[in-house]
Amino acid sequence: MQKTKPGQHQQTATAATKAPVPIIAMRKSCNPEGVGLSHYVLMDRKKTK
Amino acid sequence: MTAAVLTPVDIGHARYVALIDPGTAFWALVDKTQVADTLAGGPLLDAYREKAGDFSRELHALRFELKPSAVYVNPTERCNLDCTYCYLPGKMRRDGSHMPEDKLLAALDKLRRYFATVMPEGRRPRIIFHGSEPLLNRHAVFAAIEAFGDDFVFGLQTNGTLLDRSAIEFLTAREVSIGLSLDGPEAAITDSTRHTWSGRSVHARVLKAMDALRGYDAWSVITTCTTENLTHLTRMVELFHAREVPTCMLNTVRCTLPGARGVKPADPDMARAFIAALDRSHELYRETGRKLVVANFANILLAILAPSARRLMCDISPCGGGRAFFALAADGDLYPCSEFIGLPRFRGGNLFESDVEAMLRSDGFRLVTGRDVDTFPPCRDCTIRHFCGSPCPAEAHEMNGGMDRTGAFCGFYEEQVRYAFRLIADGIANDYLWDGWDDGTDTVFNYALR
Repeated sequence: MQKTKPGQHQQTATAATKAPVPIIAMRKSCNPEGVGLSHYVLMDRKKTK
Repeated sequence: MTAAVLTPVDIGHARYVALIDPGTAFWALVDKTQVADTLAGGPLLDAYREKAGDFSRELHALRFELKPSAVYVNPTERCNLDCTYCYLPGKMRRDGSHMPEDKLLAALDKLRRYFATVMPEGRRPRIIFHGSEPLLNRHAVFAAIEAFGDDFVFGLQTNGTLLDRSAIEFLTAREVSIGLSLDGPEAAITDSTRHTWSGRSVHARVLKAMDALRGYDAWSVITTCTTENLTHLTRMVELFHAREVPTCMLNTVRCTLPGARGVKPADPDMARAFIAALDRSHELYRETGRKLVVANFANILLAILAPSARRLMCDISPCGGGRAFFALAADGDLYPCSEFIGLPRFRGGNLFESDVEAMLRSDGFRLVTGRDVDTFPPCRDCTIRHFCGSPCPAEAHEMNGGMDRTGAFCGFYEEQVRYAFRLIADGIANDYLWDGWDDGTDTVFNYALR
């Protein structure tokens, strides 16, 4: 399991400039905090802390 | 070990096909020449089988085990606009009442006490002032923000027409997230769906508010996509990017009330215009290095890449209404979501008279929280049902005849998911997401690293 930390943002999946791979499969997970809806989007995920 | 069933889905990509387990929302993009071999068994299936139980539990927790952490508060029934597609009844918006300031303060005090019993330590609940037009009751709203600034994180969704300099100074000084609405790149297009009761244009006033917010990092603009503006979505993206809007939403019109259905675009038209606008947003990012995130699409990407990192809770089943958040109407009544205000069947009770937990268990709320895409056709057999969630229950109920029906834009969601997978296949998905979107996430599966 790899933790993504601030400043270590990774390009998801295979970058277009790299050689294509036969299989791409990934999933990330976190504690859910989503409360937005189609009438409003949260801009400040970090401010709930 | 859990049985894993992967279903091939054509995503319209030259090289890759998606293999999806609908039950866990697991996916893999596989070279078309290797699909048969991959499905026959091997390292990918072995790796997935090890994780399938974890993914199933994660999805179940996200769908059924959340506690509310936000309330959409309507501090007034009234609105100074009469938009074609509004989901709130016209009589309420024209002749309705404000929630008095003392009532609003009492409501937030009760909510503060409720959230103290359900929120994890160190995390504040959210109050989003919502509409009708909340700034028509500005004094009460600002008094509430002042009184409860340490207890809640605040947001405000406004039509922008009353957002003057002093309001912006008050709100930005308190880090209130601000959402505006604009439907066209020019007044004639905006005016076709958004205008005052007397039919006057508000386009210029919204642009003025946008200019005043430039440089603030917590604001967004919603465009409601209808037959009236669909051919102008690319220009909307250009306008938003030029005005340094950090985030926008290009939402399909919600067809809960009949007025909205008259401007509902067809799914293929919606998909074509939406994807063209996304393509344009990406061109602008590559040209300037500055992103304009289209949040409703970003949420579909997140549903695929990191289901629990979703920010919008419409595109999941059950939706967030009545479980991740609920709505407080100006008369104190509770509803699962603002979309249901005006539909008495979904009323859970009154905040000033009833216990919040009891209202969350009410029949009206259970109608919404019990809507499960795994249980009704055609969704239960759809491969992407846990990427889209079959929104919206209000539309399903009011437009299509029941909670066991699809929402209004099934085909559009299918196209969005295909497009999202193509971006992942091309390695450019992050270009469409907020910088740092995955900070604090765990990578729980990465086949390329094996």
